[in-house]
Amino acid sequence: MNKKIIYGSILMATLLSVACQKNFLNVQTTTPTPSNDPTVAMDLVSGVYSSLIYVDPRGGWNYDTHGISFVAATDIMSDDADKGSYLADQPGVLDLDNFTETAGNSFVAALWNGYYVGIGRVNNALAALAVAKLDTATANRLIAEVRFIRGYYYFNLVRFFGGVPIVITVPNGPKAANSNASYVTRASVTEVYNNVIIPDMQFAMNELPPKAGTSTGRINRGIAEGMLAKVYLYLQNWQMAFSLTQDIINSGQYSLVPDYSTIWRQAGDNNAESIFEIETGGFGGTDAGIPLYSEFQGPRNAGGGWNNPTFPDATGDLGWGFCTPSTSLISAYDSGDLREAASIIFVNPSFAAPTGDTLWDGFVIPKRSSVQALYYNYKAYHSEKLETFYGNRDRKEKNIHLFRFAEVLLINAEAANELGQASTATTDLNQVRTRAGLPNTTAVSQSDIRTAIWNERRVELALEHDRFFDLVRTGRAAQAMTAAGKNFAAGKNELLPIPSVQIALSGGKLTQNPGY
Amino acid sequence: MNKRLRLRHGVVCAAKKALLIMKLSAILLLVGVFKLSAGVGQSSISLKIDKLEISKILGMIEKQSSFRFLYNSRLKDIQQQVSLDVKDQPVEAVLGRIFTGTDLTYKVMENNLIVIVSGKIEKQDIPVTGKVTSDNGEALSGVSVTLKGTTRGTTTDNSGNFSLLVPQNGTLVISYIGYQDQEIAVNNQTVVNVKLEQSSKPLDQVVVVGYGTQRKIDVTGATATVKGTELVKQPVMTPTQAMQGKVAGVQIISSGQPGSQPSVRIRGTGSMLGGVEPLYVVDGVITTDITNINTADIVNVDILKDASSTAIYGARGSNGVIIITTKQGSGKLKLSYNGNVGIQSATNLVKMANAQQYITYVQSSFGPPVQATGYSTDWYSQILRNAVEQNHGITLSGSSEKTNYLFSVDYIDDQGIVIDNDFKRFTLRTNEQFKITNNLKFGFFASYSNGNIQNVNLGSAYNDAYRAAPTVPGLIKGKYGNSSLFQNVGNPILDIKDNNNHTADNRLQGNAFLEYKPWTWLTLRSNIGADWDNAVNRVYTYQFAADTTTFVTPGGNQSNLYSNLTWNAGNSLHWVWDNTATFNKYFNEHDLTILVGTTSEQIFSSYSQADVDGVPPDPSLWYISNGNFALPFLPPSGGGANQTRNSYLARVNYSYMDKYLFTGNFRADGSSTFPANNRWGYFPSFGVGWVVSREGFMQNQHTFDALKLRASWGKSGNDVTGYGTQGYTLTLLENLPYFFGGQATSGSAISQIVDQNLKWETTTESDIAVEFSTIHGKLTGDIEGYTKIVKDALINVLIPSTLGSYNPSGSGGYVLTNAASIQNKGVEVSLNWHDQINSHLSYFVGANITFNQNTVVGLNGGQPYIDGPIGADQPDVTRTDNGHPIGSFYVQKVVGVFQSQADIDNYKDKNGNILEPGTEPGDFKYQYDANGHLDSVFAGSYQPKEYFGVNMGMNYKNFDLSIVLIGSLGGKIYNGKKAFRQSLLDNVESSTADNYWTNSNHSNSEPRANGGDLPASTYFVESGNYVRINNVNIGYTIPAAAIEKTKVISSLRIYISAQNPLTLKAYSGFTPEIQSSSPTSAGIELNAYPSVKTYSIGVNVGF
Repeated sequence: MNKKIIYGSILMATLLSVACQKNFLNVQTTTPTPSNDPTVAMDLVSGVYSSLIYVDPRGGWNYDTHGISFVAATDIMSDDADKGSYLADQPGVLDLDNFTETAGNSFVAALWNGYYVGIGRVNNALAALAVAKLDTATANRLIAEVRFIRGYYYFNLVRFFGGVPIVITVPNGPKAANSNASYVTRASVTEVYNNVIIPDMQFAMNELPPKAGTSTGRINRGIAEGMLAKVYLYLQNWQMAFSLTQDIINSGQYSLVPDYSTIWRQAGDNNAESIFEIETGGFGGTDAGIPLYSEFQGPRNAGGGWNNPTFPDATGDLGWGFCTPSTSLISAYDSGDLREAASIIFVNPSFAAPTGDTLWDGFVIPKRSSVQALYYNYKAYHSEKLETFYGNRDRKEKNIHLFRFAEVLLINAEAANELGQASTATTDLNQVRTRAGLPNTTAVSQSDIRTAIWNERRVELALEHDRFFDLVRTGRAAQAMTAAGKNFAAGKNELLPIPSVQIALSGGKLTQNPGY
Repeated sequence: MNKRLRLRHGVVCAAKKALLIMKLSAILLLVGVFKLSAGVGQSSISLKIDKLEISKILGMIEKQSSFRFLYNSRLKDIQQQVSLDVKDQPVEAVLGRIFTGTDLTYKVMENNLIVIVSGKIEKQDIPVTGKVTSDNGEALSGVSVTLKGTTRGTTTDNSGNFSLLVPQNGTLVISYIGYQDQEIAVNNQTVVNVKLEQSSKPLDQVVVVGYGTQRKIDVTGATATVKGTELVKQPVMTPTQAMQGKVAGVQIISSGQPGSQPSVRIRGTGSMLGGVEPLYVVDGVITTDITNINTADIVNVDILKDASSTAIYGARGSNGVIIITTKQGSGKLKLSYNGNVGIQSATNLVKMANAQQYITYVQSSFGPPVQATGYSTDWYSQILRNAVEQNHGITLSGSSEKTNYLFSVDYIDDQGIVIDNDFKRFTLRTNEQFKITNNLKFGFFASYSNGNIQNVNLGSAYNDAYRAAPTVPGLIKGKYGNSSLFQNVGNPILDIKDNNNHTADNRLQGNAFLEYKPWTWLTLRSNIGADWDNAVNRVYTYQFAADTTTFVTPGGNQSNLYSNLTWNAGNSLHWVWDNTATFNKYFNEHDLTILVGTTSEQIFSSYSQADVDGVPPDPSLWYISNGNFALPFLPPSGGGANQTRNSYLARVNYSYMDKYLFTGNFRADGSSTFPANNRWGYFPSFGVGWVVSREGFMQNQHTFDALKLRASWGKSGNDVTGYGTQGYTLTLLENLPYFFGGQATSGSAISQIVDQNLKWETTTESDIAVEFSTIHGKLTGDIEGYTKIVKDALINVLIPSTLGSYNPSGSGGYVLTNAASIQNKGVEVSLNWHDQINSHLSYFVGANITFNQNTVVGLNGGQPYIDGPIGADQPDVTRTDNGHPIGSFYVQKVVGVFQSQADIDNYKDKNGNILEPGTEPGDFKYQYDANGHLDSVFAGSYQPKEYFGVNMGMNYKNFDLSIVLIGSLGGKIYNGKKAFRQSLLDNVESSTADNYWTNSNHSNSEPRANGGDLPASTYFVESGNYVRINNVNIGYTIPAAAIEKTKVISSLRIYISAQNPLTLKAYSGFTPEIQSSSPTSAGIELNAYPSVKTYSIGVNVGF
């Protein structure tokens, strides 16, 4: 009897043994968190930088910061370039080119989604930095870096869409938009500038070391100062735009490189002229450039594959042939402007020509009969022969020059001109022209100088994603687009439509732009 | 007789009391309450007592002596107080004195048991004792022994012994679960030893119900059993595949791919984004993958279908449970060998256009000029082959009084029909049980499997084989035809040959239990199971350039600039510890079983992966350290997961007179997968049954041998969220590149919003059924109806993008949350006929059919879930929406082909606008709505409306034959490979090349020749109906007389088997069985493994 009781008791007691371990279900997380591992916060900062290259590795169809949707809504939408490829390819891009886009346009949605995911990464990084055990100096530097990128993303958003919802904290769950309407309610353009863009950029400018004091690729004082100057240019705060650009000029950290054509080659990466540049490189066994950026704009064959044995280099398409430079852009160059041939790949228009054109790296573009368009974007070209290439054409290592010293000079010139300092303006302008192989400007009056600067901006910064914004900023969009034969509606097409899905998801709190 | 009854009643009270105490968790007290045994004392008694209850005096006698008393404590006279003063008296004298003045009498039985009853014992009653054993000599405890025609009875003890007072001419009825009842006339014998034979009647058979067994007739839920002997007839590599068509309500979709586990849907698809596969339980060890199990080791597979059966598995049960029981040794030492060898080949291949057809088609579609090359390559034949499969197994088993044992070794080699594909598996199993004492048993089950899989890159190879031009040669003198130069499609042979993808898997699975039966009515069992898996996947991609070293002609973009090696090592350990107590008591026609228990489990897994370029091609150098680290490489990755579950379970099975049945289940589950506030779930269920055929009014009818009605209701859950082990925590998106100072940096991001209230999906299921056996047991069947509603099903809900959520598989921010409801409604019918015509000939035919209707009944905010990507032209072809099955195809409707320009011009909307102005004759005419907008329609889903199986066979003398037929009706398949055709130079199917619309061939179903860039439409939706002869097996057993002479072999059967010899299908693609892990994009054929037919010969030898 005793034995049975003992055995039975032991066995039965085990029934409840596990229940006694109260923490059995509270398993420890197997991944580090910002509070137990400071490298998490630092990795999140790198992740914010990475969003400059891409948010979605599949290439800007659904989320985009600087990929195909960005190219479509900047260069293709402007009078600098046409959609390219064959007519039926990507009707959504054609709609942007022709200003017939609707609120359902997927490329527009990709920009909205991409920038807000990037902003979300910044907000999460900031939240992590707030709890990470890092020394104050490092933490402050990282906070300043990511805040600059947030300010820059809002600057793009406000230029694309006008006033947008200001999200500068991490939403506390999927229903955050129900409890906090500001997540889905548009702030005014002024509020976006005053409450996010300027404070973020100003903070970055104050906290960050100059270019020489930090690694290449990291946000530095010069980047923040230059971009803030550009912001003030948009706000027509000429004094601030002037003094900030003058500070950069006086810093002696930047200069124009002698050969304009090298700027967009790998040799020009992070050159003396570079201020803000998206860095690319080899990663994960292959190339890690902006998905499709180079390929999207690469010369396209006329169909069937480039299998002409005369051109052994021409193995398959170089690209999809989008964003072809427009005749309007080509006619904007003065004769003798070195920048024309550096910016545009010209295909010999003669069907009789025995061979195609040779590019700077020796690559031979097939002759006219095999190529779809006459002009392609040279600035997006990446050499597979002479530049780093690990075999991934979708992700070619093409650094994007978002801000160059030449633009600092042109902003300085424009601001000086508006402040009545014509000689400073023409000095700046002539520096840019001289490098381009052009004589000094002949403009004298404030108005002529203004026009000269604007024209200079177009050709100096051609296909560098600035033209459309510049036209809108200066009030010339309707006139220029009409001149280019586009169906531009003034008062509507200055801004993109707010994506209709997002309006629906906000329960109607998000309002549409006029005309859409 | 009545006295006996009351005596049993006393025990029930005690049991009830015990239950109460259980509730109070005072476990230790519980055991002390019962007193049934006594110590050994002298045989003479000395007592001096002044006024004490007789019962207490008896207790004192027990303490002094070896006598035990059996009586009903409620007898009035036993509570009388008497005085006593005896010294060294025999017990009979003492009892005589105590009982003076009462109506109590007694009888001394064997083993010093004294039975005390009220009134006179009937004269003719004699004590009968005996022992009940099974056919292999094992003592059976808990066997019911009753006097026929009465309710008088007892049960056997742990040693199988019983004793009972019965009339000299009475008849004993001995019955036990899973054994045939036996009746034995007493005829004045005082010792009756009984050997019970196992029952073969379906309703008497024992079924496994999870943490226990039950007689089939007593089960109130929907369960089914498939015998291992049926499964081994099919030369397939996983037992699940051999179950196709065997059980109503169970749909199995298998592919011929070596080493793959078929998809199983029990009673429809119960989730959209969560897990949809059933839970597997192998000898008590919970698992999700049974590709390590040797089919020959299986004795039975039990399938639990309704919530009343699966609720005992709580949060794991809602997709059904498949319980696998492996063999135990029994009887004398047996050695057997089973082996088969077969030839496999692809069947139902899609015929592609030959070079001439291709050239003509391309020219008709205004593609670039294509020249004949003298080649007409059939790409599928280039990558497929006839393959050999073989399987050899040896089993050694047996039992002795104290142990039973089984040891098996098995080796499988399945080459697969695709070049380079191969699956080899070696398994070892040992199952042992030891009877330590009569009431203490220990056992363990252990299996080790070693799998080696040579995987092939089917995704690219099949897709490319469909598209590659036949004018390009496959392989000439070791050099590949350059299809990518010609049309930007990789050479399919090279797709396979350019990499070596190998997985080595070692898995150890087993459990050990200790079972203690202090009394016949109580079983305490502790079971610990473990499943350890270690897998290494190594993928080597060769370096090659688009030059003449590799290709016949240089160029194109099929090349690898650098070789690459990816090495992924994973490890997981899963342990489960179950502790159960089972009370079983049979009293006066009341049969009560109560199970209570706890389980806890933990799954710990980890993996690490490294990846490097520039590893030399010599396989002996395929290690990460041999790579070229000057080239960019992905940082090594790795991680771990830790998951725990803790559960409490209880079940009551009660039957009265074997006619009225009740089952109640309750399980509480805690899972670390969910946030603390949603961690616990509660899963109740109930089932009732009525065995009508046992009612008095049924005794004189001859229609039904057995008739049973049952109904059940219950809740079960699904905690497989497809969202990691801690779905509510944020996970980092890692390996995000950026470059500082020219150095690559790996960043990470939090780009998701998580639902902090995530919880499991809950299924509520009702089930009603009738089971019967008629025509003298020749026809048995059951008809069953069910409704299964899944609430809180996981679905991705769109949220505003401003919240910063990134959805890697679509556009816009999604959050995964419990916001959908799904309904499955169905009817299952199973009928089985078997008949023995004479001593030489018997035959059977069984058929089962399931009608199931799957409907999404609720979606959060009505947002349909869009899925099913095909390619750039068809980004999504399915839509999961209210009122339609999960993953319904949602596409434009083709209403015909424009035959002429006039036809196009006349196709107008109500305002007279031409609807398709840009088209040409030969293009599709699509359906438009009343407003002139292009209409999309729901065009069915992959889920069948009906599926069925027919099993038949016969035995004639020494020959046996069995045939399994399966089929499915009402499902649709999306011909994704056809839809993926994307350029003017892509090949077409031969039937398309023959039938496309031309000016002279005015087809109304096939469009004119085109480059494949067609929108998603009903053109690509095809019927999934099919019927297949799944298996034919013909065997011959060598007559015993013939093999006796050998003195070595005791039995020998040889057989030939044909697996999948014939499929009749409506679908034009490779197979109507499309495996997909995602219910919302099921049934899209992009690169399905073609169906495989296998002809094999085999032998079963017993030594």
